[in-house]
Amino acid sequence: MPELPARRGPRLAPRFPPWLFLLLPALSFMLLMYGYPFVRSFVQSFLDAAGRFTLANYAKTWDLYLKDLGFTFAVTAFSTLLTAVLAILLAMYLRFRDGPLARLMGGLYRLPIFIPFVVVAQMMNTFLAPHGLFNLALARVGLVNIEKPLQLFNFWGLSFGFIWKMVPFSVLIIHGGFQMIDNSYIEAARSAGARTGTVITRILMPMSRSSILVALVLVYSQVVGTFTLPYMLIGGKIPTTITVDIAHRVNYFRDFGVANTLGVFSYLLVLVTAIYYLRSSVRRVTEEGAGPR
Amino acid sequence: MKARGTLLLAAVFLLAATLAFAGGGGEAGGKAAPVKVVYMTAGDVNMLALGQNVIGPALAEKYPNLQVMTVHTGPGNAGSQLILEKLEAESRSNKQAWDVDVAMVHQIFMKWAMEKDLLMPYAKEVPTWAYVTTPFAKNSLGVDIEGYGIPMFLSQTALAYNPDYVKNPPKSYAELVDWVKANPGKFGYNGIKGGMSGVSFAIGWVYWKTGKYQKYAVTGPVEKAEFDTWEQAFKDLGEFNKHVTFTGGNVGTLDALNRGEIWMGPVWVDMFFTFMNEGKLDPKTRMILPEPGMPGQPMYFVIPKKAAHPEEAKKFVEYVTSPEFQAKEIVQRFNWYPGIDGAQLKGAVPQEIYDKIYGDVTPADLVKKGQAFPLADYMTAMLEGYEKWIK
Repeated sequence: MPELPARRGPRLAPRFPPWLFLLLPALSFMLLMYGYPFVRSFVQSFLDAAGRFTLANYAKTWDLYLKDLGFTFAVTAFSTLLTAVLAILLAMYLRFRDGPLARLMGGLYRLPIFIPFVVVAQMMNTFLAPHGLFNLALARVGLVNIEKPLQLFNFWGLSFGFIWKMVPFSVLIIHGGFQMIDNSYIEAARSAGARTGTVITRILMPMSRSSILVALVLVYSQVVGTFTLPYMLIGGKIPTTITVDIAHRVNYFRDFGVANTLGVFSYLLVLVTAIYYLRSSVRRVTEEGAGPR
Repeated sequence: MKARGTLLLAAVFLLAATLAFAGGGGEAGGKAAPVKVVYMTAGDVNMLALGQNVIGPALAEKYPNLQVMTVHTGPGNAGSQLILEKLEAESRSNKQAWDVDVAMVHQIFMKWAMEKDLLMPYAKEVPTWAYVTTPFAKNSLGVDIEGYGIPMFLSQTALAYNPDYVKNPPKSYAELVDWVKANPGKFGYNGIKGGMSGVSFAIGWVYWKTGKYQKYAVTGPVEKAEFDTWEQAFKDLGEFNKHVTFTGGNVGTLDALNRGEIWMGPVWVDMFFTFMNEGKLDPKTRMILPEPGMPGQPMYFVIPKKAAHPEEAKKFVEYVTSPEFQAKEIVQRFNWYPGIDGAQLKGAVPQEIYDKIYGDVTPADLVKKGQAFPLADYMTAMLEGYEKWIK
């Protein structure tokens, strides 16, 4: 509705109350520590060593690292999807089962959350190596010839490492979502004749859509940016991930232009999910807002 | 509340640790106000350990009023770059006495620092200069540096192999290509993004294929036209890579050798011996330096042009490049080749260790097949060539 000019004066004051200045420290910290580096890295991707505008960094990235960009996206998407499936299954198990075994599982599964990526990388290094624990165990039971072992320092091994590390984290979030759903919904569905599968796909998953989505977005953006695991597992291979390429440009050439360009591409990779996430949460808020309360 | 308590506790610990360190340093000084020599070192954490745990205490014992403060800047050329930035800043500030008294740097640093006139021509005033015979002390990546730096150590890459499986190791890159075809998957290296042993192998490959080691690494000049002539060399390396197992880094190659996954691979000689001493590598494992050679590198002591304590810095360098220290610490403890002439160490190092260090890769091998990394621009172009042409 149109406002009368006369009412403007008094309404300005509550719009910018003085206590808003209390936000200033937090806001300036965010701008300085997050906003400024982000903008600078974006700007630097368009500058050459002398500080002039150039598209050469993008040309070089396109020329040398296109396959690594594709590889990074593929590993990330694959790991995230499989993580989601496994995490949902495990969260189901923990939601429905009770007893000593489930409680043990409920405690154990959290362990990897507290293990840093660099330790995971070293573990995977010895576990997945051609003569590592995994291949030796398979050879022991006759599934693999140890002279021609499975080569896992590649897409599959890297994804395995990511999934191993990220599933527990997603279970924590998704299981939390499941816990919030009242048993009466499930019992009602059951008494109407729904099987467990139906309960999962029609009740639990739709009702905890937001927590599943949060888990997906967090896993995805963490995997895109992880350096240690790919570096220690497939650092010297072709293709490799863009985080390894960024380190390579900086360590060997001190070439921050191309490094920042690769960074911009990684922001773009993350942006896709972030936009999806934001849009769906906005939609949910408006839907909920419109509904009866 | 709990988090805040933990934070507070951490802060108290940090403060206590700082005080303890400061106190410990102060006591060692003696009566006269001690001279604090600031030693800045690039390189891996072992370089920090060398400065802090070995050189510092030993020097304080020999010269009671001398105190070493070791500052570590990090591995690789990036570590040397930070030292350069510090010296450049001091140069621009027009200060008369610069903070850094002595620094330990990579080859590329010498080029950068000589161009900007940041170094003192001190080396010939140090008595141990008489023992320095390596060509690295005259020339670094094509730049004349004679008199400006003394190498503390030389490190070399070579092919390590498991003699159980490899009876007749290939003596050249050409023989290696045939060997790899006959034994697919049994040669392993870490590419060019997983550490310098792989970089060294790839650079050695280009030297071999082009036969232009002298131009690329010693005499120059840098000509962009050369870059495109490497396409076939790299495509051949890409073909070679198809028969190769990729390892997870410098350490990954040694681990893979030890587990028997690969039978041969390029390694740093010093890491090879360190692994062996620590029982992490089968003692049977041996090394060979293939024709026409593989790169190695020294690290240099330099004294900044306006160092505040140049005389003390020279004493520092003299001590570390003395035959006794080189034998005991550089060779025996850290497994590098000495920066001074190996012949000077003959009596100071136990014969068995001398034989071990120079057993597979002899001093004559080092002279003939120990190459340098290419001039900076060629180096960059070669690394990018690898990325460009090897799919």
